[in-house]
Amino acid sequence: MELGYGQDRTQRLMREKVQDKWMDAYAPVRHLDPVLVGVALLLTVIGVVMIYSAKAHVTPETGPALARGLATRQLISFGIGVAAMVLAAVFDYRYFRAYSAVLYVLALLGLAVVLSPLGVEVNGQQAWLAVGGFQFQPAEVAKVAVIVGLATVLHERREDPGIVTVLVSLVVIGIPIGLIMLQPDLGSATVFVWTAFIMLLAGGVLARYLVGLAALGGVGFWAVIRLGLLQEHQVQRLTAFLDPAGSDARYVYNGEQSMIAIGSGQVFGKGLFNGTQTNLAYVPENHTDFIFTVVGEELGFFGASIVLGLFILLVWRGLRIGMMAKDRFGMLLAVGTVGLLVFQVFVNVGMGIGIMPVIGIPLPFVSYGGTSLIASFVLVGLLLNVHMRRF
Amino acid sequence: MLLLFVLLFGIVGWRLVDLQVVDAEELADRGVRQRSRTIELPGRRGRVYDREGDVLVTSVDSATIYADPRAYRSGETPDGTAKPPAAHAAEVADVLAPLVGRDVADLRAALERDAHFVYVARQLDWELGQRIMDLELPGIGLLTEPKRVYPAGPLAGQILGFTGIDGAGLHGLELQHDDILHGTPGQLVMEGAPGGLSIASGARELRPPVPGTDLVLTIDREIQSAAEAAALRAIEEFDAVGASVVVLEVGTGDVLAMASEPGYDPNDVSGSVQANWRNRAVTDVFEPGSVQKALTAAAAIEEGVVSPTTPMVVDDRIQVGSKTFKDSHDHPVEHITFAEVMETSSNVGTIQVAQALGKERLDRYLRDFGYGSRLGTGFPGESHGLLMPVESWWNTSLPTIAIGQGVAVTLLQTAHAYATIANDGVATQPRILRGTVGEDGRLTPADPSPTERIISSGTSRQVREMLARVVSGERGTGKTAQVPGYAVAGKTGTARKPSADARGYSGEYVASFVGFAPVEDPKLVVAVMVDEPYPIWGGVVAAPVFQEVLEFALKHRKVPPTEPNASLADALTEAALQEALADAQLEGPATAADEPASPPVGAAAGGDGAPVAEP
Repeated sequence: MELGYGQDRTQRLMREKVQDKWMDAYAPVRHLDPVLVGVALLLTVIGVVMIYSAKAHVTPETGPALARGLATRQLISFGIGVAAMVLAAVFDYRYFRAYSAVLYVLALLGLAVVLSPLGVEVNGQQAWLAVGGFQFQPAEVAKVAVIVGLATVLHERREDPGIVTVLVSLVVIGIPIGLIMLQPDLGSATVFVWTAFIMLLAGGVLARYLVGLAALGGVGFWAVIRLGLLQEHQVQRLTAFLDPAGSDARYVYNGEQSMIAIGSGQVFGKGLFNGTQTNLAYVPENHTDFIFTVVGEELGFFGASIVLGLFILLVWRGLRIGMMAKDRFGMLLAVGTVGLLVFQVFVNVGMGIGIMPVIGIPLPFVSYGGTSLIASFVLVGLLLNVHMRRF
Repeated sequence: MLLLFVLLFGIVGWRLVDLQVVDAEELADRGVRQRSRTIELPGRRGRVYDREGDVLVTSVDSATIYADPRAYRSGETPDGTAKPPAAHAAEVADVLAPLVGRDVADLRAALERDAHFVYVARQLDWELGQRIMDLELPGIGLLTEPKRVYPAGPLAGQILGFTGIDGAGLHGLELQHDDILHGTPGQLVMEGAPGGLSIASGARELRPPVPGTDLVLTIDREIQSAAEAAALRAIEEFDAVGASVVVLEVGTGDVLAMASEPGYDPNDVSGSVQANWRNRAVTDVFEPGSVQKALTAAAAIEEGVVSPTTPMVVDDRIQVGSKTFKDSHDHPVEHITFAEVMETSSNVGTIQVAQALGKERLDRYLRDFGYGSRLGTGFPGESHGLLMPVESWWNTSLPTIAIGQGVAVTLLQTAHAYATIANDGVATQPRILRGTVGEDGRLTPADPSPTERIISSGTSRQVREMLARVVSGERGTGKTAQVPGYAVAGKTGTARKPSADARGYSGEYVASFVGFAPVEDPKLVVAVMVDEPYPIWGGVVAAPVFQEVLEFALKHRKVPPTEPNASLADALTEAALQEALADAQLEGPATAADEPASPPVGAAAGGDGAPVAEP
C-alpha cells in the first residue's frame, strides 16, 4: 500500500475542500460583470422614463395613456430581455458556436418571411413580423446571428486570414444585408456592414483586404444610390444631410428639430417631462430613433453626458471582456457586440446632433422597440458568458 | 480599434458641447420662436358717457364663429398618419346657415376653401354663439370679439359716429378720439405644436391689453333726446327735408345737445343712409338770414354807430348800387328806433346801419364772432363756413351780408355767436368733450375752453334786450318762442337757399331761430334750423322747435324761472301761437340777394363746398 498524503482520509477531505474552494472561485456564476449588467439595466430604465416623457404631455387627453402603453410594452420587453440575457449567459458560449449555423439559418428565414405577405409594413418599411399581438423585427435577431456566425467563421478559419476567409465572410454577411435592403432598411444594413468590418479587423484579416473591402464598400454605396435601389425618401434624407439649404424642407425638418430640441436643453436641461419641443411634438419619432432629443432637451448636456458615459462604460467593459476572452470566438463575439453598440450609439446620437444623416437606427437599450431591446440584452448576455468562462 | 471608438465618442461629445453649451442659447431661441403663437388681444375700447354718466357707447363681448376648413378634408397629422374628414362641409353648412343668417351655398363654399380659418359669422349675440357651440359641430370655433353697441340707438348718432367691425373709429367722435378710445392691444404668446393643431399646456406669456380711455361728453342725453324729437316733429309737421338743433351752455361752451334729423342708428350702419351720418350742425352750412342781424347790430353798437334808442327813418326799400333791397312787406316810411328795426326784422333799417358801420368793421366783427373759421371742436368734417375776404366783396356784399345772405355758417357757429352775446360779449370755444375717465375711474376734466372778449358787456346787454323784444315785443317776429316763466331772447331767420346746381338761389328756404334764456343772466343758447320747410317762416317753423327744446332744457338744467307770473306768460304764449301765422309776414325773407349782381356765397366761393345741407 502506498502511503501518501492522499491516503489519509482526513487529509484528502481537507485537500478536496481547498480544491473545491479554488474551483468555486472559478465557477462562472462568480464571474459575472456587475458593471456591465448594471449599466445595461440603468440605460434601459432611463429609456423607459424617456419613452414615457416623449409622449406623456403631447396631448392632455390621449398623451398619458399612450405614454403608459408604450412604457408598459417596453417594460415587458425589458423583462423578456433580462430573461434572454440570463439564458444567453447560462450555456457555455461555445455552444453558440456549435449551433451558429442553425441560428443563422433561422435568422435568414425570419428576414425572408418578413418580406412575404406575413410581414407588416410601417412607414414604408416591411420590417416587422406580427406574432400573437407582438411585433418583432427579424433584422434585430439577425444582428445577433450574424455576429455569432461571423465570429464562428473567423474563429474556425483563424489560420487563414486570406482571401478565402474574406469571401466566406462576405457571403455570411451579404445574404442578410441583401434581404434587409429589400425591406428596405438602410439603417440596419449599414450596421451590418460596419459590424462585419470591425470583426474582420479584429479577426486578423490582412490589412490590404480590409482596405480593398472599404473601397468596395464605397463603390457599392455609390452604386446603390446610382442604381436607384434606395427609396426616394432615403435618398432625400441623405441629400438633406449633405445640403440642407437646397433640400426639401420636409427632409431637413427632422434633423433641424432634433438639434433645436437638444440645443435648447442647454447645460442642465428643462427638467424631466418639461421639454417643450418634446411635449409639443416637434420632433417626430422621438420615442424611437430620436429618443436622444428627449434626453438632450429635458436633462441637458448633463444628462446627455451621463447617458453617453454609460455607453462608454459599456464599451470599456465590452472591450475588456474581449481582451480577457479565452478564445478567439469569445473575443470576436465581444468585439462584434461592442462595435455594433458603438456604431448604433454614434449614428443615433449623430442623427440628433446633425453629424449623421437620418437613417433610422435605434439607440440601444434606450429607444422604444422590443426586439432591439431584447437583442441588445442577448448581446450583453453573450458578453457576460464570455466573461464568466474566461478561464 | 480602441482609438477608433474613442474618436467616435469624441466627435459626439464635442458636438454635444457645441450644441448644448456654445449654440444652446440660439437654438433655444429658435425653439421658442417656432412654437410661439402670438394672439393679439384687443384692448377694450373706451366707453362714451353723456355729462350725467349715462352710457352712450360701450363694447360688449360678442361671439364670432369661425371654421377650420381642414376639418372637412382628409388630411394628415404631423407624424404622417392619415386622418379622415371630421364632417362634411355640406352638412355643417346646412345646420349653420339658418342660425347665422347666411346662404347655405355661400357658407358651404366658404367651408370648402383651402384655408385654415374662415369666418362663419362675426359679432353674433353671445347667446346665439353659445347655442352654436353647444351643437359641437366639427371644425367650428368661437372667438370672443368686442362689439361696439350704442344703447341709446340713434340718439346722438351723428356725434358719436361708429366704428368698423374691427373696432377702429370711422366716423364722428369714434373717429376724432380714436387714439384715446382704442387702448393698446395686448398679446398672448402661447406655445403651439407644429401645424397649430393642438395647443398644449405649454408656457404662456400674457401682456395684458390696456383698455381705452372713456370719454365723458358735454352732451346731456335728455336734452339731446328732446332736441331730436323736436327736430323730427318739425320735419314731419312742415314737410322739411331736415332740421338741426344745437343747445349750448352759456359760459362753458358746453354743447348740451346737437341734433340733426333725419339721423341714423349707429347699431345698424349698413342699413342706414350715408347722407344722414354727417353731424350736419357742424359739417353743413346754411345762409343764416335775419338771425345774422343781431351780430350786425352788436358790431354797430360796439362801434358807437348806433344804439337801441337811435331814431331811424326806415322806408320799405333801399337802393344799393344797381340793386334794390326790400323789407318783407311793403310799408310806409316809418320813424322807429333801432330796437324796433330789430324787432320787426327790417332789412332796410339793418342795411342803413351796416352802411354806417362799413364793410371792414362788419367783416372783422363777423370773424370775431367765429364766422369763416372752424370753432376748434376738432369734430371730423367740421366746416369753417363761408365768408369771403373783405377785399373781394362786391359792392352789394355789405348790405347782403348784413342781413345774413351771401354768407354761410354752420348752426354751431350761429349758436356760438349768440352764446358770445349771451355771455356778456365773451366768446367761449364750444366743446363736446367734457373729460376723460382713465383706468382709475376718475374723471380728468378737459381743459376749460379758451375765452376771448368780442364785444363789451354793455353792448351785449343792449343786444340782449333788443333780442328780448323780438320774442316779447308787440311787433316781435318770434313770439312763438316764448317760454312760460322765463324771459327769452332770440331772432328769427328765413333765408333763401342757394341753388345746388346753378348760380343764384333756389326756390327753397331755410327757417331758423336762435336765442337764449333767461335774458338777464342767460344760461342756455338754443339754435334751430329747419331745411326746406313749408311754410317757410322762421317764426312759424323754427321758433316753436326752439321754444320746445328751450323749455325742456331750462327745466332739465333746473334754471330758476325769472318771470313770477307764469300763468300770464302761458296765456301770452297761447295768444302768440294763434297769431303766429297771421303775423308771419312781419318777418320775411331777404329777397334782394337773388339778383345776378350779388351771387350766392356758394357760387362766389368757386364751389368750395356747396352750402347746401342736403342734395
